[in-house]
Amino acid sequence: MANRMNWLQGKTVRKNTPAGSHSRSSSTPQVHSTSSTIFGGGVKDPSGRITEYSSDDDQCPVCKSDKYLERKLRLLVSSCYHKMCESCIDRLFTLGPAPCPICNKVLRKLAFTPQTFEDLGVEKEIAIRRRVAKEFNKRLEDFSSLRDFNDYLEDVEDITFNLINDVDPIETESRIAAYREANAALTLLNSQREEAYILSLRQAEELERKEKELRAEEARREEEEERQEKESGRREILERLERADGADAAKVVQRSKRERAEKEASRKGVAPGKGAQALLRARMAAAAATAATKDTPHIPFQDDYYAYNDMFVLQHVYVDPSSEAVRKDREGIMRAGGYRVEEAWERAVRSAVAGLDLLPLDHEIDAFHGMDQGGDVIMSAA
Amino acid sequence: MPASKTPLYEASTQFKNWRYSSQSLAKVRASLNAAAVAVIRNTFEVDEPGSSSALSFLTPDEEILLVRLYVSKIPQLCGFFRFPEEVEATAVSYLKRFYLKNTVMDWHPKNVIVLQSRLTALFLATKTTNNPISLEAYTNNIPKTDPSDVLDLEFLVAQSLGFEFAVWHAHRALWGIWLDLQTVPTAPRDRATTQSEIYDAALRHVRASRLSDAELIYTPSQIALAALSMASAQLATEWAESKFPSGSLSLSTLQSTLGSIKTLIEAASHPVDVERVRGVDLRLKLCKNPEKVVGSKAYLAKKAEEDRKAEEKRNRKVIEVEKAMAEGDPFGDELAGRLVDYDDDDDD
Repeated sequence: MANRMNWLQGKTVRKNTPAGSHSRSSSTPQVHSTSSTIFGGGVKDPSGRITEYSSDDDQCPVCKSDKYLERKLRLLVSSCYHKMCESCIDRLFTLGPAPCPICNKVLRKLAFTPQTFEDLGVEKEIAIRRRVAKEFNKRLEDFSSLRDFNDYLEDVEDITFNLINDVDPIETESRIAAYREANAALTLLNSQREEAYILSLRQAEELERKEKELRAEEARREEEEERQEKESGRREILERLERADGADAAKVVQRSKRERAEKEASRKGVAPGKGAQALLRARMAAAAATAATKDTPHIPFQDDYYAYNDMFVLQHVYVDPSSEAVRKDREGIMRAGGYRVEEAWERAVRSAVAGLDLLPLDHEIDAFHGMDQGGDVIMSAA
Repeated sequence: MPASKTPLYEASTQFKNWRYSSQSLAKVRASLNAAAVAVIRNTFEVDEPGSSSALSFLTPDEEILLVRLYVSKIPQLCGFFRFPEEVEATAVSYLKRFYLKNTVMDWHPKNVIVLQSRLTALFLATKTTNNPISLEAYTNNIPKTDPSDVLDLEFLVAQSLGFEFAVWHAHRALWGIWLDLQTVPTAPRDRATTQSEIYDAALRHVRASRLSDAELIYTPSQIALAALSMASAQLATEWAESKFPSGSLSLSTLQSTLGSIKTLIEAASHPVDVERVRGVDLRLKLCKNPEKVVGSKAYLAKKAEEDRKAEEKRNRKVIEVEKAMAEGDPFGDELAGRLVDYDDDDDD
């Protein structure tokens, strides 16, 4: 309910798009008071505010005034999805319901909504879907089979499509009315269920928030206590030192320090806070959970290749005229990032010894590549 | 060498899938040629009975000749674009491998590489060796070439290569040997500069080896060593003996391997007999697979056949969908139970 009252409190966010550009995300939202106009509808973001669309190209189609002449121009959308400016709305509809100057549908002042999307088609579709969803809220549990549920969903989609695109509206409305009559009880029940579910969600959220506050409070208190403890300890040491006349100052300091440590330990050990206990339990549970799903140790990829390393000894430097230019090039104009001539040398030397002692295939062992596929390879290549 | 580990080279696709013996190479080529001839003869016969008897199809050897000629054109192109040696060598390997899976009679070399038309193998090589060039810059510099000429075949070439783009090259191995020679204890340190003409000669032999089948039979290091030994037999022996204990079995087998590589390289060093190639090329024009010649009867017939199949498939699908709508749940019943043909590919 609180969300629904937002528009009465005038919590509306306005978005100004720079001229020419129609992107809706570039500018920072500004909060404007909208107490002069009353409206409902629009699309709310999660915080319950309406982000309103407006651009510098806005022009009222009724009175033709635009942003250039009137900085405060604000276009609202009628229930027949035509835009007009606030002053036109005031002028036309203050005296009660009047026909829309564009399509002649009878409108009321209260039925104007702020524009959320640049494309009014989207606005319309969302409004219609919202309406349809309110009426057609059956769930899978209400049907005997999945097939029935799917049929029902398809019907709903049909109706929605008809409404959005104005396909035989009279018949569609009568379909909705028939459905409403037939399923009034169920619809009501489902909407109650939905509300209950939302309420439970909200309560859970609230509970969590309170708990968090409580924990923060406790932590603050503990900190304060500790600080006080330290303070009093220091004062005690000073007092004792005064009494001991500085003869064995070090001993006194040490003793009182020990005493304080003992006290602290006893406080922590004997009476841990209720929150701390809960925390401890949670930690133990988490530890148990991780112990249950113990990971197998990570084995990095191990390639078992023989890289002919015993066949050559790589030198630090070679006499190599072909790579001289690259090596002399200190600024690295000729090299890509990460290039090291040593690696190129290593690759070359490795390929010099790779497969040096491999025997060429003999005709007997020759298990033949492609003899049997030979025939179809050519033709399948076509 | 530790027995449990796979040597790096033997883990490469070059070793696994592109290593042949000279006999198996000949067999692959012969079977490819035979299959292609059979298919093309058949298409000619269907087109016009009796027309194929007048044709003389290419023999496998003639096909090799053509491929070799067009392989030899790649260095010119690379020189023009100033591509590094790596690109050139890779493109050559791609082209050779491509023609182990396809026949010249299906794809004229000019369609895959070189001169006026398709330079797909080279373009692919620039990309796989990290020397990319923009397609426009590439085709604009080659007369009468459209970007689509290159791109049309790109997937087919990649597919024929089995998408195995990594190639081990002999020129890198040669560089490695040249560097490693400096670690031979008796060697003068500055040999790399004072005897650079030996390296250059060896590099020329490595380049010549690209025209041969050597890389399909032997490992890059063996080819490089053979090239070095052709330039300076003494240096090559010196290095080989530093790698293997003298008198060992591997050293003697290596010697015989080097010998056969040398013959291959020497054979490849001779320029291709242009007159003979011209004759082969002329005959090829007559016996090219007519299905691949745009506008020919067989080409049109094949197109029509493909269209018919596609149409049939569409109809079948429509009927299936209708049936499903009529008799069951359009959302599908249970997931299990009914056997569904998921094979929607266009391969049938």
